[in-house]
Amino acid sequence: MLIFAISDKGGTGRSVTSTNIVYRHALQGNDVCYLDFDFGSPTAGAIFSVGSVARGTTRTGLHDYLLSEGSPEPHRVDVWTESDREGLRTKPPGAGRLVLLPGNEGGGELPAVDEEMLRRCVQLFSRLDEEFDLVMIDLSAGRSFTAELVLQATVRLPTVPFRWLVFHRWTRQHIIAADGLVRGGDGLLDVGARFGHDRDTLRDRIRFVRTAVLEPDAAELVGLRDEQRAWLSACDSELRELAGRHKVGRTVMLGKIPLDPILQWREQLISDEDVLASKIANAETAAAFDDLAKKIVDDNAWEGL
Amino acid sequence: MGEVHTGLLQNSGEVPESTCHELLNLLSGERVRVSRRPIVHAVSPDLLTGVDCRLPSASRSRIRGAGTVLSRSSITGGRVVQGSSHTRIERAGSDRRQPWSHYLARPGVVEVLGKVKARDLADGFAEEPPPDGLDLGAISARFMDVVQTSSLLDRRTPFKIARTKLRWVAEPGEPAITFTLRSDQMRTIRLVHQGEFTPGVVDLCEDLALHDWLLTSLLVIIERARIGGTSATETAVKLAPAVDHLLHLWMPMARVDDALIPFWESLDRRPGFTRQWQSMVDRVRDQLAVRTLAFLRETGGGKAQ
Amino acid sequence: MTSVNATFGEVTAERRVAATPLSHVSIELGHLYMEDFEAGPERLREQFRRVAPWAGAVRSSWQNRVPGGRARVSTCFLIDDYFSRFSTPAELVPMVLDAAAECDLTIDYLARESSCAESNGIELARLVEGRLVNDPPPDTNGSRPPVKESGWLCNGARSPQVGTVQAMGRTSPWAPPLQNAKRGHSIFVDVELWDERGGRRTWSCPFLAAVWQLLRLGLLRADGQVPLRPVPRGDGFPDDWESLPAIVQLNPAAAPFSAYTTLSVLSPRFLPVELAVRTILSQVAVDADVLRQVIARSGGEDIQLEEELVDRISYVFT
Repeated sequence: MLIFAISDKGGTGRSVTSTNIVYRHALQGNDVCYLDFDFGSPTAGAIFSVGSVARGTTRTGLHDYLLSEGSPEPHRVDVWTESDREGLRTKPPGAGRLVLLPGNEGGGELPAVDEEMLRRCVQLFSRLDEEFDLVMIDLSAGRSFTAELVLQATVRLPTVPFRWLVFHRWTRQHIIAADGLVRGGDGLLDVGARFGHDRDTLRDRIRFVRTAVLEPDAAELVGLRDEQRAWLSACDSELRELAGRHKVGRTVMLGKIPLDPILQWREQLISDEDVLASKIANAETAAAFDDLAKKIVDDNAWEGL
Repeated sequence: MGEVHTGLLQNSGEVPESTCHELLNLLSGERVRVSRRPIVHAVSPDLLTGVDCRLPSASRSRIRGAGTVLSRSSITGGRVVQGSSHTRIERAGSDRRQPWSHYLARPGVVEVLGKVKARDLADGFAEEPPPDGLDLGAISARFMDVVQTSSLLDRRTPFKIARTKLRWVAEPGEPAITFTLRSDQMRTIRLVHQGEFTPGVVDLCEDLALHDWLLTSLLVIIERARIGGTSATETAVKLAPAVDHLLHLWMPMARVDDALIPFWESLDRRPGFTRQWQSMVDRVRDQLAVRTLAFLRETGGGKAQ
Repeated sequence: MTSVNATFGEVTAERRVAATPLSHVSIELGHLYMEDFEAGPERLREQFRRVAPWAGAVRSSWQNRVPGGRARVSTCFLIDDYFSRFSTPAELVPMVLDAAAECDLTIDYLARESSCAESNGIELARLVEGRLVNDPPPDTNGSRPPVKESGWLCNGARSPQVGTVQAMGRTSPWAPPLQNAKRGHSIFVDVELWDERGGRRTWSCPFLAAVWQLLRLGLLRADGQVPLRPVPRGDGFPDDWESLPAIVQLNPAAAPFSAYTTLSVLSPRFLPVELAVRTILSQVAVDADVLRQVIARSGGEDIQLEEELVDRISYVFT
């Protein structure tokens, strides 16, 4: 299955969340791979702590591959053997493969979509789908040629299942922008339908993920004054009402990731060790990733609305 | 020299012979050849691809060759797909590029423009061929893609598994064979045969590639099943697809020329392909038998005895 | 116990290729288009008068080559019923035969051009299209599929597209197309194979002419069978082209239709068409078994055939 990760705006924590989802999915025993299609800023290597490709690869990255430069096969990084983090370098028993396909160091956004690029993209998705249980494709924020490319590619692979995750923060602007990215003019549904997707089917394959969510009853808020708590609670219900109006409400939400300092200050994979031993991460965060990693392939969570 | 890619047909179940015919009908006016004993094996017509490029060389000399590569796709047991390409390297009569009709009169031959040492070329191909040089692997991969992306397949495979690639070089001389596992997916064969090259050598390499893929895949499935590391039920669930889809496909030497059977037999003595296969098959069957006994005990069915 | 040699065969696993009888040379006496027909029988007689000495010369040259002078020479004539339909076989064929007879020429076989596209449910043109193997420009290493412009075939590398904007706004300058096996300078040829309008494909004249040459050389097979065999003429000729067999054998004593070599005697106005035909034919991969079959047959007759099929085709432009 192909999963496309996109966000309305930058800074939503899309990359760190999607990498943590594939990491958890691998721990659950699946073969997974992560494609860094955020060509303007290919930093997935850093999140996986693979120093050699922290800012993209100098070999044939996905950017080069799509532009027919370099070798005919894109560079693959086996995270279990190439990560610099001690805790990641041994594959836990029962875990599946965890492979990263980095972008190019110094690559840029795609200039346009042409037939050869599309052919290569289709070939890549089709071959990876043969090999991996889950293929996560992390796209750059907002409308881009990369998003257009993958919308076209999936039209040509009618039997390959795919899903979209739209990441947004729990704020007024982000809720409106996430709705716009999906339903607005030249949004995913518009462009998808233009290239041959069925609008309703495509809509059923899109879910939203809220990031950096501060729950009014969260432990962090214990020290707050009653007035502050009341205000937050009012904001939250206002946002929920807004989200419902913009059709990004609970029914189309796949999960939410709580606000966690570790994700704000350093984008990284959250291992069980970070939660249990060093305690630098919150257990709720790891649990949220674990839950998303299951829901992403759970058909019940994706039933048509 | 040649390269064979092998993978799991992207379908939920075995496909019938009639579907194999449609999948492999790559050239109008040419029949798909099918043999039914001891296992259904369907082969597409041979197709040519024109090349004019650098050839591999262990000494990194710049050698240019022009000619055609012969390729075909095949399906074994309605379950395993192969894409196979090969070409014979011959010395050209002249050092200049000839009109294309010259090369088409020698299908499956690449002529070397200039001087070349056969050993240097063979060593270069078996090791790491230059990225801008002759790429038989890319051609074979496309001959697999043609089948794998067909709309006749549902792509709902019982398990995900990587393709394997087998690169082979054959030279005349005192008979010998060397089989090398180079990485998880890459294998090479150096084969020395008596007398002239025959198409039987290609059949032999395809048969070896098929059985190496079966071995590799069964190993992966057993590893994923974590025998003894998880519940017997979970292990049994993970092992079941192997029984349903792989175990009956082991038919070594089914289509190998009599004169070439000693090559297979020598590999079967050491490292002992069939021995390893048999021991893994026994292991899978034992696990499932144990699980069945446990199930009978749990449901009380065992008490009756 | 002694060992037993077991033999097991499966018909569908083996490849069988039918053979076709072959003459030494197939001479094309002419190719009739509507404009020739409209010009009247005199135009036709004039053409046959020009052709006759060449046909005679080729016939006697083969008689000298073959022991005992028993050269097998067949003649044929092609009528266009594909690009335009005119007249009827009943009216046209006798006129052609009369004109030929006046010049002491015998037309052994008469063929319809549309049969090169499709006949008896066999799409010969599609068959040949599937057998095209593009002439690779240098540095073609197989890592990408061959560059194909749908419906076109060339003998080298096309010019890059002018005006493509690359990153940072640079536009690529013009560069010339290149012939692959050039000698010093390029003669670049790009041939249109077909076009499509309203979902209907029309094959180009050079493409059908290439199919025609392959038919005459006896190199085409469909499922291992010879796709078109000549049908002896009936008592008269029908009133519509559809009812006329694809290839009609007019002379019962004729040598076989297909031949080791072909000669076409044509007006110079066909020169560009035949250049295109050669460009196409030099990129057609004929079935290796069929090639071997023909080489073995000719070898058995002590005839040295040219290796490349384009060299088995000759022309007289007059």
